[in-house]
Amino acid sequence: MPTYTDMTRCDGCGDCVDICPSDIMHIDPVYRRSYNIEPNFCWECYSCVKACQQHAIDVRGYADFAPLGHKVRVLREPEKGSISWKIRYRDGRLKEFTFPIRTTPWGSIKAAQDYEKPDLSGLGSQHLAHEPEALHIAALPTIKKKA
Amino acid sequence: MFTNNPFAALTDFLPASAMQVYIVLMALAVVAGTLFDVAHKGSAKFFARRRQESEARAQRRLSGGATVSLALETIAEAAVSGEFCKWPRRISHLLMMYGFLLYAITTVAMVFAYPAGALLPTLWTLGALMILVGGLWFFFFLRVNVAYDGASPFHLGRADLFVGSLIVSVAFALLWHYRLATAGHAPSTWVLFGIYIFFTTLLFVSVPWSKFAHMFFKPAVAFQRRVEEANGSSDLPSPAVENHIVRS
Repeated sequence: MPTYTDMTRCDGCGDCVDICPSDIMHIDPVYRRSYNIEPNFCWECYSCVKACQQHAIDVRGYADFAPLGHKVRVLREPEKGSISWKIRYRDGRLKEFTFPIRTTPWGSIKAAQDYEKPDLSGLGSQHLAHEPEALHIAALPTIKKKA
Repeated sequence: MFTNNPFAALTDFLPASAMQVYIVLMALAVVAGTLFDVAHKGSAKFFARRRQESEARAQRRLSGGATVSLALETIAEAAVSGEFCKWPRRISHLLMMYGFLLYAITTVAMVFAYPAGALLPTLWTLGALMILVGGLWFFFFLRVNVAYDGASPFHLGRADLFVGSLIVSVAFALLWHYRLATAGHAPSTWVLFGIYIFFTTLLFVSVPWSKFAHMFFKPAVAFQRRVEEANGSSDLPSPAVENHIVRS
């Protein structure tokens, strides 16, 4: 389901252009709003949908599940860590879904270089760097061997 | 220097009525251009259809008071450029919006009334400077095709017709005012005045092809969006009930 921009909502901030991994979200030279220049090349990752703060990017549903005349709209709520979808079929039926997209506050994920340099003695351990505290658990689960 | 009414000095060569007729013609050009834009792009049909669809899907009827309240909320949002999600663009837009209002209102007042005193010319200069600061900041650093799409800061396209003609118009208005104060009616003063009038005319007669009419369309769309959210006909999903942020 490739994405498209609702130009009455878009404020031309450029966040979708910045985040699109396929580089197909560009700026319209006449109206200076974003648009999907090549829907056939859309990976349907919905990075632009989730990044848009104006809820201006919609999804063109496939004809087999949402025939012409439908609407697929998205509401991102970073403060709740969720993204919700609403599908309005052309016969008026509505379906709504809400999915959790993260459990930590928006922008709180640290890059690898922001962590302290691991101790070299850790090379002998089976733990990955910063485990188990980075996983927010006291210890990694272990398999108890039968005697 | 910038405390004198520049249009008063023009009356030695141009009758006051000519300047007043020019301003009326420019106002009519904006009205005609906007109406042409509405008809040509089918904006009126689009809004009418959207309103009909919204009313058909409405889950509740809004009272007159609720509608007025939504209109006031829309005006309040537009007054602070609340539709922008990034503060540099918001500040730039506020500078241009209030600068343009100050500049346009004081121009009309100075041409039609010729009041004595330094207040109006000072406000006219302040408005022009606000447009220049906000406009140049936007043009060279904040334009989305420049900041995100790899275009040169000097790139010019149809999307720049409004902001470009506005910036050049007020820049030459200030240059003409400065030259008028320092050199009187020298030939260079008239050259600057000619460029100022050319770009001012371009700004107002290019409405069907520029983004000038956005100042009328954007509040209309924002109001309709608020109505749809209030009467339950919005296509946007309902806000999530559960908070999934459970860790810091």
